[in-house]
Amino acid sequence: MFKELDPILHSQLRLAVMSLLIGVKEADFTFIREKTNATAGNLSVQVQKLKDAGYIEVTKQFKDNYPQTTCKITATGIEAFDAYVKALQQYLQAGSS
Amino acid sequence: MSASNQPPKADMGFSPEESISLIQSMITQARGTVADNSFYLLFWGWLVFLCCLAEFALKVLLQYPNHSVVWWSMPVGGVVTAIYSFRQSRKLRVLSFVDQALDFLWAGIGIAFGLLVYINIASNAWTNAFTYYILLYAIGTFVTGRLLRFKPLMIGGLLNFILAGVCVHFSYDYQLLIASLALLISYIIPGHLLRNRYRQNR
Repeated sequence: MFKELDPILHSQLRLAVMSLLIGVKEADFTFIREKTNATAGNLSVQVQKLKDAGYIEVTKQFKDNYPQTTCKITATGIEAFDAYVKALQQYLQAGSS
Repeated sequence: MSASNQPPKADMGFSPEESISLIQSMITQARGTVADNSFYLLFWGWLVFLCCLAEFALKVLLQYPNHSVVWWSMPVGGVVTAIYSFRQSRKLRVLSFVDQALDFLWAGIGIAFGLLVYINIASNAWTNAFTYYILLYAIGTFVTGRLLRFKPLMIGGLLNFILAGVCVHFSYDYQLLIASLALLISYIIPGHLLRNRYRQNR
């Protein structure tokens, strides 16, 4: 039996965001947008979905009079990412055997 | 979470292989994002290097009695670093785990330097002052080099461990020259190389 892949993570942009955040302590919205080549609108929607799932924390603040949005992965997000990678390995092993 | 007998492919837009490839690509990109740390190495390297040589010139060559006056530049350096650090933190777009580890490492070394100066003043024990300072340079630059995977800093740090051992056999006057050599090989040269590496990768 294959575990179904977490639909929140099994989306290119949301998975890209989570993969970036898993390797850093925190990152701002502009950094994530540059690395993922996403549009601000699309990224905003996907970040909100990750936040609603409890996978990331989003902090909005002002720095030098400019709004800054910082994203950070949560413990729930790390667990979900870990489970997602394990499920992927299961599919890959099944595919190679 | 529910389970099925088939791996999801077309219906979910992309395959598990593509997922793995995306994860690897993003992790690689995030791994390369470490802040430019060369300012601190170059600023403190040059400042302390010049102070060591200036004190040697004042004390040994000119026999000027207030030769230690040069060290009043240290608190000024502390203020400059604090202002720079504050401004950089406001520009920061990503904080990596390496950046955070380096912050803690150098904060600890900064406290150790301050405490060592206090101990030296309180006990008037300047005879081996630079042996301990060079030891702190060694720890800071070796660990930083390891975390940044930057060999010139690691080598500079390792050479400083040797210089700290050598330093103890010399008087304070010549310890000033050994300390300036230590700063040259562990802060100044690696600092310039690190700045070049950062600018090339930008």
